[in-house]
Amino acid sequence: MKNDLAIKTQDLYKEFGDIHAVQGVSLEAQSGEILSLLGPNGAGKSTTISILACLLEPTRGDALIMGHSVRYEPMAVKSALGVVPQEIALYEDLSARANLRFWGKMYGLRGAPLERRVDQVLEVIGLSDRQTGAVNKFSGGMKRRLNIGIALLHKPDLLILDEPTVGIDPQTRRNILDSIKELNQSGMTVLYTTHYMEEAQELSDHIAIMDLGKVIAYGTHEELVKIVGEMHRIDLSLSARPEELLQAWQATEGVHQVTANVTEEEAALDVSCTVLVDDSNRVLPCLFESAGALGVRVTSVQIQEPNLETVFLHLTGRGLRD
Amino acid sequence: MKLLDIAFKDLYRSFRNAMFLVFGLLLPLLTAGLFYFAFGGSGSGDSEFELPLTRVVVVNLDRPSGGFAAGESFLGILRESIPGVLQVTEARDWATARQAVDHQRAAVAVLIPAGFTTAALSPDGESVLELYQDPTLTLGPGIVRTMVNGFVDGLSGSRIAASTAYEQISAQGVVPDPRQIEAVALQYAAWVTSLAGTDLDQAAQSLNPSLFDLEPATADGQQSSGTVASILSQIMAGMMVFFVFFTGAATAQSILQEEAEGTLPRLFTTPTSHAAILGGKFAATFALLTVQVVMLVLVSSLVFGINWGPPRAVALVIASLVVLASSFGIFITSLLKDVRQSGIIYGGVMTVMGMIGMIGVFTAGAASTPAAVRQAALIVPQGWAVRSWQLLLDGAPVAQILVTVAVMLVAGIVLFATGVLRFQKRYA
Repeated sequence: MKNDLAIKTQDLYKEFGDIHAVQGVSLEAQSGEILSLLGPNGAGKSTTISILACLLEPTRGDALIMGHSVRYEPMAVKSALGVVPQEIALYEDLSARANLRFWGKMYGLRGAPLERRVDQVLEVIGLSDRQTGAVNKFSGGMKRRLNIGIALLHKPDLLILDEPTVGIDPQTRRNILDSIKELNQSGMTVLYTTHYMEEAQELSDHIAIMDLGKVIAYGTHEELVKIVGEMHRIDLSLSARPEELLQAWQATEGVHQVTANVTEEEAALDVSCTVLVDDSNRVLPCLFESAGALGVRVTSVQIQEPNLETVFLHLTGRGLRD
Repeated sequence: MKLLDIAFKDLYRSFRNAMFLVFGLLLPLLTAGLFYFAFGGSGSGDSEFELPLTRVVVVNLDRPSGGFAAGESFLGILRESIPGVLQVTEARDWATARQAVDHQRAAVAVLIPAGFTTAALSPDGESVLELYQDPTLTLGPGIVRTMVNGFVDGLSGSRIAASTAYEQISAQGVVPDPRQIEAVALQYAAWVTSLAGTDLDQAAQSLNPSLFDLEPATADGQQSSGTVASILSQIMAGMMVFFVFFTGAATAQSILQEEAEGTLPRLFTTPTSHAAILGGKFAATFALLTVQVVMLVLVSSLVFGINWGPPRAVALVIASLVVLASSFGIFITSLLKDVRQSGIIYGGVMTVMGMIGMIGVFTAGAASTPAAVRQAALIVPQGWAVRSWQLLLDGAPVAQILVTVAVMLVAGIVLFATGVLRFQKRYA
């Protein structure tokens, strides 16, 4: 019987000594949807995924994958999962076919069905013509594709991808995102972690924003954006230290939040500020006026419509990539 | 089944790995091969071993007495005993013979004095055989000296035979006839002479060994060749143990390598039990070492002619070596945090341990080595492994080998159990 809930976590905790990597994470994902975990490095995304993949045992709480408990039915959970690790995990001295054949056996495939499935996966990942070549001769993109292909061998109910686009070129990234959409359209549930809000926005049915081991927001893209209402985000670069100016801006009508980042390299000052406002057209002249009055020159301005980055900033006071 | 899949995958990768082929098979054979060729390619008692030609100049002033010529007999022994090793020529006088040695035309000169036969046959007779040798040479003159001693011993035996005959005849109350006594001495001397060129090993077994001191330089130099074969066997055994322990550790290290490369965590995400994953990797270590040791034993036997001993005993020692080296590899790898630490352990600790274990090989030819030094090798597992091969090569009793094998197996089981527990805890 097909379980409607592909993922259900219940108050998950994971502690490593004094470090609280995951703190009370509760999530749900329906079968056939794409759920993204969005958050900066250290947010607890990979730890959460490791618990779901039965690599780590939760300190407290439990998670159900296709109705099976990660605590008590790890083999059933593993059979339902295909995991694509963040780093490429292949036997590079073996061929693509030998890799797929070996990993297929680890998922319990044998004989003719295994060979057929290997052929199918090679076709899907576009490596049929390179199947006998040693993987260490492959390009980074080809390795990425094979890395994903391995997780598809046993046609898993749930595909977990841990930041699969980190450090790759735009073309390969595009191919991976398109492949994930195709797999999802074929009925596969996908759990996707990323710190790129564009990817989460493009792929996901639901997004869980994580920070410091907690889910700080959960919903569809539209639902999340509504958290910050119709606020616009204005990014400004300044020529001088902004302490007084920030106070002035914070006091300006229509301004909701002001954050600043100051770096100083070889006597060159780099000050960048982010201001969340109701209406950029109305507020922006006031911001320039305050800056002029305090003798601070604004060297660049960028205005953004509300998005997940704005949401994260609104919720944490930090950017996703800070 | 998955356990075997993992083991086969690891074995396949190992056999494709140039490092294993070089360090696991090539280097031990190469090291033994260097010694093999350094010793003139002599690995067994059956192969040819070239001793340098020794030129001997003999001045024979002796004359026959009673139909027996001791000087001539000795010349015959010199000429026929070691053809190709001794080249015997005669000189007219002692001065000429010595001159030949002085000008390095001969390695040694022998003077058989006049009246040598008469003195040999007489109960109270005395005669002196003189040797004059090139002081820069040792081997050739040593062989000649040994042969002279042996011949003189034989003549002494002849004299003893005559004395015994004299006493026995006197004891019967009969006055001994000098011709009878001389006949006994001649009979004995003829028998000694007849031994020249025959199988002296057999004769030595049936007679007084002191008479046949020639044995160390028997025909074809088999004794010397046997010594070389023994040294070569010891070196091969030491090299085998040294490198097999490295292979054991390096193969077990693949667990850490897979952990670093991410394939081990990925394996843990598949529906495969931890026991099958670790068991597969351990099985690969055992299998690889078995292949390595069997190949080294076979190849060294075929190429260098090393006789390792009775097949069953060899199989037993191979099995215990594989168990010990594999288990040691698994144990020591379980102590490491990551692959980076393995460089220090393998490059330093294991090399030192290997050297300590090979003390028995280094001191094999030094009889004066204190027993405590030899025993020191047994503080490391490699020492027990070397000892088991040495016992096998020395033809030690099975019971003695079994004790060593038992120690190796028990140590192996303890190390294996400890290593497995540590890995299980680590990946729980």
